[in-house]
Amino acid sequence: MGYKASEQDMMAYLYGELEGKEKEAFEQYLLENAEARADFEKLKQLRSTLSHVRDKEVIAPPIFIGDNKQRPIWTIPYLKTIVSIAASLLIVILAGKFAGLQVSFSDNELKVSFGEQLPVSPAEITKPQLSLTPNEVQEMINTSLSQQNNAMQSNWTEAQKKLDASITKNLAASSAKIDNLIKESSLASQDQIRQYVLAMQTENTQVVKNYMQLSSSEQKQYIEGLLVDFAKYLQQQRNDDLQVVQTQLKSLQQNTDVFKQETEQILTSIISTVGNKNSLGVRN
Amino acid sequence: MTETLLDIAMMHADNLIARAKEGDQNAQGKVVQLWYKRIYNFGYKFFLDHDMAMEVSQKTFISMCKNLPALQDNARFKSWLYKIAVNYCREEARKKKGNRSLSFDLVWNKDAEDSPNWESSSQRYDNPESQFQQRELSDVLQEALMELNVEQREVVIMKEYEGLKFREIAEVLNISENTVKSRMYYGLDGLRKILDRKNINKETIGYGL
Repeated sequence: MGYKASEQDMMAYLYGELEGKEKEAFEQYLLENAEARADFEKLKQLRSTLSHVRDKEVIAPPIFIGDNKQRPIWTIPYLKTIVSIAASLLIVILAGKFAGLQVSFSDNELKVSFGEQLPVSPAEITKPQLSLTPNEVQEMINTSLSQQNNAMQSNWTEAQKKLDASITKNLAASSAKIDNLIKESSLASQDQIRQYVLAMQTENTQVVKNYMQLSSSEQKQYIEGLLVDFAKYLQQQRNDDLQVVQTQLKSLQQNTDVFKQETEQILTSIISTVGNKNSLGVRN
Repeated sequence: MTETLLDIAMMHADNLIARAKEGDQNAQGKVVQLWYKRIYNFGYKFFLDHDMAMEVSQKTFISMCKNLPALQDNARFKSWLYKIAVNYCREEARKKKGNRSLSFDLVWNKDAEDSPNWESSSQRYDNPESQFQQRELSDVLQEALMELNVEQREVVIMKEYEGLKFREIAEVLNISENTVKSRMYYGLDGLRKILDRKNINKETIGYGL
């Protein structure tokens, strides 16, 4: 029996992670080795005891995951550069302060000096030689100004003249043109009016003639029609009257006929009665 | 066991992790919901302290959300997550080293014990007496765990209560699988001795139940 189970195998077997031949070998080992078996039983017992630990119930709180993009100030890029520039400026300023650096700009000269400013002797200051006195300058200015003024004046008057001339020329030209135009237009208008009036007259006469012709012919027609109608009416009337007279005559004739028959009947009846009476009287 | 159930859930949640990796906040939230109880309980058993467990869980999940895109293999999510948790636990333990010498009665957060979490978690036991027994036994066992050294304790918690495989624990702790098994063996051995000393055995557990 070369197999000697290790603690690792024991653990693997206890938690069911031993497989195949290893498992079989270990089970065989347990069967043959009472001590190991007891040990294993104890471990199993322990596991069942440990299983009495209960999980604590917990509700997951909301987890906020910020982007955390906000970086601390010292990690901002270029901060190093900016700070180093600021620091070097500070150093320069401090160095200047301690060395008594003085920088001044006056009278067209830039002075960079260290320490106390020495009083400058007036002899050392070489004032520029004045080649022109103020009066001369003034005079020069005055002359140049007057020259300028004169030149301007002459220019101005010339320009004025030119302008005037051109304006008068333009005016003359334009007025002449306008006069011509007006004349033309007036002449043209008189002729046109005459023509227009003539045309109007002829048109009017034409229209009146036409109208008269039309109206006279219409009247003729109308009167003819009227006469025909009247003649027809008269004919009709006469016919009607004739019919009436005829019917009257017919009825009269009928009446006389009837009357004739009646008298005949009466006569016959009278005659018969008279005949009968005569016969009767004879008998009696 | 809840661990195996959770493992099954996690198999289906591969997709969830993939989405969480892509920065889907909803998926990240779900992953947190899924794993928060496990990480909290790991932290609680490690420190036997509610506040510390909360602290570690918070840090772990914030780190998880931040570093999830860097996770190469989704299948290794579990060991990756526990690795983060273990690192935070060790960090907190180092910070609190000064307090390590304190007795359990001081370190042990009595408020956490009386917190409503306990009440809600205990409602599944209908017998108040057994409920009390259960709680007391659980406390004693947790105290026994605290007596182990950190190396053994983290292995025992991960194996016994978090259900990680020896290979996964080796990954978490960056040690060999055999070393993990050795630590487990000696951890269990130590626990047995501690419990013997506390007179916790088959008979005393059965008593009153």
